[in-house]
Amino acid sequence: MAKKRTRSLRCPICRTIVLRSEPDFPFCSGRCRTIDLGKWASGGYVVSTPINDPEAYEDAQRQADELRRKTSDGEDSGRD
Amino acid sequence: MASKESAVAAAKAMAKAESKPETRTKKATSGNGDYTADSIKVLGGMEAVRKRPAMYIGSTGDLGLHHLVYEVVDNSVDEALAGHADQIDCTIHIDNSITVVDNGRGIPVEPMDIDGEKVPAAQVVMTTLHAGGKFDSSTYKVSGGLHGVGVSCVNALSHQFDLEIWRDGAVWEQSYSKGEPTTKLKKTGSTKKRGTSVHFLPDREIFTVAQYNFDTLSNRLRELAFLNKGLLITLTDERNADSKTGEPKRAEFKYTGGIAEFIKHLNRGKQVLHDKPIYMEAERSSVAMEIALQYNDGYSETVFSFANNINTIDGGSHLSGFRTSLTRTINYAGQQLGLFKDVKEALTGDDVREGLVAVISVKLSQPQFEGQTKGKLNSDIAGVVQAFVNERLGAFFEQNQTVARKIINKAIDAARAREAARKARDLTRRKGALDGGGLPGKLSDCSERDPSRCELFLVEGESAGGTAKQGRDRRFQAILPLKGKILNVEKARYDKMLGHEEIRAMITALGCGIGKEDFNPAKLRYGKVILMTDADVDGSHIRTLLLTFFFRHMQELIKRGHVFIAQPPLYSIKKGKSLQYIKDDREFVKVMVKRASEGIVVRYGEGAAKLEGAELAKFMTTLNEYLGFFEKVDKRLRDAKATDLLPHVGLATRADFEGDKKNPSKKIEKLEKQLKALAKDQGYKSVATAYDDEHNLWQVIVVDSQGAERKINWSLVGSPEYRQMMSKYKQIETYMEPPFVIQSIPKGAAADSNGDEAQSDAEREEREKTAKKAPKAAAAKKKAAPEEVVEKASARELFEYVLNEGKKDFTVQRYKGLGEMTSEQLWDTTMQPEKRSLLEVKLEDIAECEAIFTTLMGEDVEARRKFIEENALDVKNLDI
Repeated sequence: MAKKRTRSLRCPICRTIVLRSEPDFPFCSGRCRTIDLGKWASGGYVVSTPINDPEAYEDAQRQADELRRKTSDGEDSGRD
Repeated sequence: MASKESAVAAAKAMAKAESKPETRTKKATSGNGDYTADSIKVLGGMEAVRKRPAMYIGSTGDLGLHHLVYEVVDNSVDEALAGHADQIDCTIHIDNSITVVDNGRGIPVEPMDIDGEKVPAAQVVMTTLHAGGKFDSSTYKVSGGLHGVGVSCVNALSHQFDLEIWRDGAVWEQSYSKGEPTTKLKKTGSTKKRGTSVHFLPDREIFTVAQYNFDTLSNRLRELAFLNKGLLITLTDERNADSKTGEPKRAEFKYTGGIAEFIKHLNRGKQVLHDKPIYMEAERSSVAMEIALQYNDGYSETVFSFANNINTIDGGSHLSGFRTSLTRTINYAGQQLGLFKDVKEALTGDDVREGLVAVISVKLSQPQFEGQTKGKLNSDIAGVVQAFVNERLGAFFEQNQTVARKIINKAIDAARAREAARKARDLTRRKGALDGGGLPGKLSDCSERDPSRCELFLVEGESAGGTAKQGRDRRFQAILPLKGKILNVEKARYDKMLGHEEIRAMITALGCGIGKEDFNPAKLRYGKVILMTDADVDGSHIRTLLLTFFFRHMQELIKRGHVFIAQPPLYSIKKGKSLQYIKDDREFVKVMVKRASEGIVVRYGEGAAKLEGAELAKFMTTLNEYLGFFEKVDKRLRDAKATDLLPHVGLATRADFEGDKKNPSKKIEKLEKQLKALAKDQGYKSVATAYDDEHNLWQVIVVDSQGAERKINWSLVGSPEYRQMMSKYKQIETYMEPPFVIQSIPKGAAADSNGDEAQSDAEREEREKTAKKAPKAAAAKKKAAPEEVVEKASARELFEYVLNEGKKDFTVQRYKGLGEMTSEQLWDTTMQPEKRSLLEVKLEDIAECEAIFTTLMGEDVEARRKFIEENALDVKNLDI
């Protein structure tokens, strides 16, 4: 965990090191800020969770099937 | 200067074109019946320049003043273009007069017959508008000159104007003032030099400024040197002498690389995408084209276009031909190279021009310009330029695929950024005014209008949102349910994200806008924004997403302390009618061991020392923490028995691993001995000490039954989790002596007198009631139970036994989600301001969160899976 403390903050998009005092912190520039926002807007950020509980797994499967059926309105089903 | 072999003929032609203009002297033409009207015209031509100088040179200010120099220099450049000159020297004198010298052929001095009068050709050039060889395309195929009015304009606007010509071994001189000759053109001597010198002092009656600017001139002269490769242009400023050497300030421009060097000049100090500028040059359909381009890592476009050395600041046909071709060629090459697999639309012109630095120079006869400033080329050459660039740039990309890939990928990035910007705009775009004030439909708003008193709960899931909506105080608490979208359940994992609509609803509900410019804290509609998610891994991931979003796009919200995390309970424990909520595992263990320790005594070690009551509870609590860190350490070593030995041996510092090259330290030897003792039971294949040359430290290497090598070294012991494990170990070291013998205490009700803090008031009341109804019932019950004696061989087993003892009397419910609570429960435990506890989110916490988020979001799915698995147990500590 000590590693994390020493890790400097990098621009989430282009990975250049960004100082806290910079106006676009945590981004390096307005452009990267916009790209990031665009990624949020298009569902580009996804977290994965392993499913350990078989019951929950079935549950999720059902939900996913339902979702697939409804995907015709796939407005934000895209993934960058 | 506008010297030209056929200047005579050209001047004549011009003269005719201007309805037979005369020389400028009225008297000289007297006797000619046609003369009056014609001569007025000629005179009018020169006078017009003085009357309306701005029409000819742009202005009488700085621009016009410098323009004079360009006119004179352009004539010399024409001589260089024709291949007769390779050097032009410009000098600014102390009186702000200028001398321009070239080493060309020298202006012709032969007399011209202008309607019966013999006038030296040089004088015609100096005194007649539009006179000069440049108007005859057989002399100069291409020619510069800003307006084509020529040096005569400069003459007309100069208080003093001196001409010196070196030609055919002779020197010729003539002077003028305000366009009028003050001397005749005379041969003054002999010379071996060739060329022309013009010295002029701008007329103060005309110009509102007098001072020449060195940088302005040097920029244009440098540009000319770039545009005419090989030509040496010097600029000397006699007004500024170097204080040390006494030499005047001087600059020299000569570029054998031509506009390719111009590109390098423009890109100096920038990170370029490819080392060498792409350069192409050819003459097609009588148009000489020279184009150079190079990309840098920036986002802006820097393009200079020139036609006959004139900077066409508004572009024109040459530029549009280039642009069309650039877009087309890059799209074509990208397709050929298969780089557009993930790209939906073709790259646009804007995409391919991000980071582009280009110079386009065309030279053609009779260029057509447009507009007052003549900054736009109108000649119909777009097709020629386009075909040329198509061919050459296409060929370049084919032969230099690495460079092509870099350029195309940059353009793809630009296209993505453009798409992102579009989506981002869409996110914050206001909905129609008819849309119920624009607030999201899913929001259950509160009635209070003072933002500082309002709270917004961001609740994970529709059902929990419904519960929260029923449980809330609608006066000041608003609820916005957010649904994490499940994308993928293959390979047994949820892929969750916040959809476009969720984020949009959130932004709209908060009302304060996002980003840097749009954020306005005064418009924030809630003083507290409270994240309420399930207390499980999934919930923590949604929370991570939300916090990351706030951190990146609404940082002020966190800085100003508006963001909080709700703490719904993880457990409820029930005994009879009493109910208690417990917020996390730590507290749960604390309550359970406390309860258990009231009913048991533990004896430990050889001497069977006794441990009971509060002391036992404290031991159990610390033991629990120790075991937590133990697990983490063991995750590295993957051998619980071996891990267990480490604190016993007391390995803690780097010094414990030191020793001379032959003998390890005592502790290492001890560890080796103890591991060897385990070897048989554990099926180790070998246990040995080894010296690590790289770090000059000792280590113990165990080869386990599976043949895997386990190293016990400083890297393990120096790790933070080991250090934390050791610090907990120190606190409980005295008790860590198996075997542990557990006896239950027969007098069960003793706990009451101890005053159980963890016990809720309700529970106590309940007990008291029970006690009144049936005195000593509880105690009696305990007594009746047979006295148990249990022996446990390890601390872990002891802990598990005690924890289970604690749970015995309770009905324990672990909440998997907010949805398992009733609305009253949720209100009581999590939402009610007097009872709840909120965690305020600090920027420092978030920076940490950001690091986790980056790992979670990483492209490397395998690394992500591993990360999640390894941290699954401590997700809670990690993300807030």
